[in-house]
Amino acid sequence: MSKTPALELINIHKRFGDVDVLKGISLKAYDGDVISILGSSGSGKSTFLRCINLLENPTKGEIVFNGSKLDLVQGDSDLVANNMKQLTQMRQQIGFVFQSFNLWPHMTILQNVMEGPLNVLKRPKKEVAEYAEHLLRKVGIAEKKDMYPNQLSGGQQQRVAIARTLAMDPQVILFDEPTSALDPELVGEVLGVMRNLAEEGRTMLIVTHEMNFAREVSSDVVFLHQGVVEEKGTPDQVFGSPKSERCKAFISSAF
Amino acid sequence: MDFSVVVEYFPRLLEGAWVSFQLVILSVVLGGVFALPIALARISPIAWVRAIPFAYIFFFRGTPLLVQIFLVYYGASQFEVVRESIFWPILEEPFWCAIIAFTLNTSAYTAEIFRGAIQAIPQGEVEACKVVGMSKVQMYRRVLLPRAFGIVLPAYGNEIILMLKGSALASTITILDLTGMARTIIARTYTPMEIFLAAGAIYLVISIVIIALFRQIELRQNRYLGTLSIKVPEKG
Repeated sequence: MSKTPALELINIHKRFGDVDVLKGISLKAYDGDVISILGSSGSGKSTFLRCINLLENPTKGEIVFNGSKLDLVQGDSDLVANNMKQLTQMRQQIGFVFQSFNLWPHMTILQNVMEGPLNVLKRPKKEVAEYAEHLLRKVGIAEKKDMYPNQLSGGQQQRVAIARTLAMDPQVILFDEPTSALDPELVGEVLGVMRNLAEEGRTMLIVTHEMNFAREVSSDVVFLHQGVVEEKGTPDQVFGSPKSERCKAFISSAF
Repeated sequence: MDFSVVVEYFPRLLEGAWVSFQLVILSVVLGGVFALPIALARISPIAWVRAIPFAYIFFFRGTPLLVQIFLVYYGASQFEVVRESIFWPILEEPFWCAIIAFTLNTSAYTAEIFRGAIQAIPQGEVEACKVVGMSKVQMYRRVLLPRAFGIVLPAYGNEIILMLKGSALASTITILDLTGMARTIIARTYTPMEIFLAAGAIYLVISIVIIALFRQIELRQNRYLGTLSIKVPEKG
């Protein structure tokens, strides 16, 4: 493929004190790709995802979004954004869904979804409200729009968080273990919403422990181990005939 | 005991209470206004910006309010520059000296309360602001300050009540606040028990009003938190 990737990460390193968490990870995501990132805890997969939009500052590496390179300079120990405006603009186009939802508790569900497009993108209120209600219907939670986050179950909160992310019309969405904080019976409803998004052709990077989901939904799967990419390929390759011993062991223990 | 003196001097006590009330309201409002920038500077990532409010808070929390009042009231007038400055009409008034000392004092405490509240906001909510691409200003305006306001209320109500009681020290620099007025009446009637009891009762009433007011604001502001009482599970 000759077109530019939507998102390209080049040789990302991250060091916490004396610990090398990421030891040079590269990844390309083209429009429409659904890439699942797997690995045992401590493999660095969440850190990697958080480095993409600088929730965590990488120690070394390059981040290229839509062909334009994020301007990074050397800070005290890590790279920091040199151009805050460029960073916030990139963040506006990259959605992020957290493990712990992180809805703003002082706003209603509808206000949470409207906040970004209304006050960050400065879109007209009427249009934003209509779109927000549409998205809440889409994630199946429209009837709760005037409630506060604390009045909702975890699965419902995570669906609202996904709607909040979609409201920004992001080009890429990053999911950081979106179902790990949920009770088992609530996992399905969130995965269902994510499956629909994948089928719509959205570009997604998903850090997850849900193996079956990753196998069915992903276009590519990446297996991280101790801060490096241990295995990479289509779901059939990675799940069906993994080359690395560690990946084989990880996958057999999961099924 | 003869409570007829209380009835007789009650209007004078109310006059004093009104002065106390003005002292508290003015210094709390001014102190609150100053406290916000002090608190924001206190959590600045830049070391020397942090150092200034740190020293300010260190001084005003570490020295007695009475000393601070005396410094402003007796101390400032020693300097000719002060006496000849345009601020003298204000600084020669005991009332305004008290306001200045109270404002400085309460702003130091309030800044610490604000700082604690801002830092108590879960990190995840701040990250949620970052990932939608909010600027620092938007973050404070839309999420951090409204959230901090809810968190701050119980401690801030407490600070106002402390200020109300601290305001009795204004009587030491000739101000006829509730305590000052009570002492003046007692000097005339020799009935300390009756008059101080009455003054104490008036302070108590003002406190109750402040507590009730804050309780209402808290219920309104924090309605999103759901139930405010912690339910202890029943045995078994």
